[in-house]
Amino acid sequence: MLKGINLKVDEGEFYALMGPNGSGKTTLAAIIASVRMPTSGSVAIYGREPGQAKEWIGYVPQENFSSPNLTGRENLMYVANLLGYSGSQAGNLVSEMLGWIGLTADADKRVSKYSGGMRKRLEVATALFPGVRILILDEPTTGLDPAARRTFFGLIEQIKGEKTTIFLITHIGADAELASRVGLMDEGEIIAEDTPEALKRAHGLEDVITVETAAQSEKVASILRDFSDDRRVLETEAGYRIFSRNGDKVLAEVVRSLDRVGHKVTRIEVAKPSLEDVFFRLTQKMVREVE
Amino acid sequence: MSQIAAASSRTIKEFLRERPVLFWTIAWPIIWVLIGSFVFVSGAPKEIVPYLRGATTIAMMVFALMIAGVANLPSNIASDREHGLLAKLMSMPISPWKDFTGRLLGLVAFSCIAAALVTAVGLACGARFSSTGINVLQAVGFLLLVICASAGIGLLVGTFIKHVHGAVMTGVGISVITAAVSGMFMPYSALPSSLQQFARLYPVASANSSATYALLGEEMAGYNPLAASQIGLTAGLSVFLLVLGTILYSRFCWRME
Repeated sequence: MLKGINLKVDEGEFYALMGPNGSGKTTLAAIIASVRMPTSGSVAIYGREPGQAKEWIGYVPQENFSSPNLTGRENLMYVANLLGYSGSQAGNLVSEMLGWIGLTADADKRVSKYSGGMRKRLEVATALFPGVRILILDEPTTGLDPAARRTFFGLIEQIKGEKTTIFLITHIGADAELASRVGLMDEGEIIAEDTPEALKRAHGLEDVITVETAAQSEKVASILRDFSDDRRVLETEAGYRIFSRNGDKVLAEVVRSLDRVGHKVTRIEVAKPSLEDVFFRLTQKMVREVE
Repeated sequence: MSQIAAASSRTIKEFLRERPVLFWTIAWPIIWVLIGSFVFVSGAPKEIVPYLRGATTIAMMVFALMIAGVANLPSNIASDREHGLLAKLMSMPISPWKDFTGRLLGLVAFSCIAAALVTAVGLACGARFSSTGINVLQAVGFLLLVICASAGIGLLVGTFIKHVHGAVMTGVGISVITAAVSGMFMPYSALPSSLQQFARLYPVASANSSATYALLGEEMAGYNPLAASQIGLTAGLSVFLLVLGTILYSRFCWRME
């Protein structure tokens, strides 16, 4: 359920909404895309209700909606024809779009033969026919490998150059970092909103120390707590994370302290905080259940 | 028009490229035409064997049309919903009526292909019909009623069964069970009287009997289904199912939650 959302996204802006599963991101995206009706409140797209602004909306749902039985070209032709393009106009437009998303060589293969990244690029193309002013992407990189993710965001970088407004829904901090503004969403509310850098500065995060030990135990957490600025230790699948303003300085001492009590450190690193760390700092919850 | 053509063309391609669809709609009825033509007629007098084969061919043609509407159409709708395509379509400037019309035309085209293949195999196996051109046109009319009724039932299944496997199983189940109890797989005269009543009421079975009557006569149909009241009932129920399915599909599948 959404609670007191007050959100304004400017034309041409790349806005990311980040939060864990069930936080209401997809519901908000579906309302903007006129797929769901709000029980109260209103949404305006260039002054119109979403239902009256459909020709401006390019919506890419979370699921892989392209038909695996059709080729990439057939999937795009289907959308082109639905949008009123026909004959050679549709054919030329589709060929141009296939070239733009780098699928010309695979255009006549069935989508069932595509990789996850190719399929997602195809689906983004279905939302970018001429006239679209707002691109709504719901969790577009879920399930993509790092290479496919990079290629995907290369495509988004190209779109950013146009006047198209991008509204990205994600639970991945690294994806949200690419946006010009990020809203952090939890339990139906936007709990913080700013540029990625400003969010990190505002929430006092300097360094994140990630520690992996051979075995997890309460003793390790207790020792790490002494090195954490706010005395909080985040347990992840692989190990622990703490926040410190002096990451580089305490690193050696962390290893020695754990070594003294017989806990061998298998990996330790200091990194700049991510938006996921900001989210954790604000909510005490992980954006993703598994790191 | 472009939207209707797009939905129609996509539906045909989806059906033609989906193996389970091809099996249940084309291969399965053809298998039964082959079995019916060579195994079930072994004790029958030689002179009526071609007509028994004709009756089997008509029944399997109707079964193919029924499976296409009652099972394939809802599985196509459920798949589109499960994979987010309906959400995508709802976000686009598209009329649900045009999407529905396109799907229905795709279904009709695919059904015609399936029926033609089943008929071709039946004829190749020696099926014969004793009919004139008018009778053939009558039979085509009744087969169109089968498509209407099946599409209506299919739309109801697709509207209320949300998942693909559920929709397929429900559609196939409805098709097989109703066909079995309404005399499509056996002579009408062999049915108990309560099922004979059902066979007259159920528009798919009634249209099957009507097409059989038109092409092979009363002996093969088991009764005369071409009485005005019976034709009115069959046509009325077929159209009612189609209209009901269409209204519920456009209300519930395209409804904003």
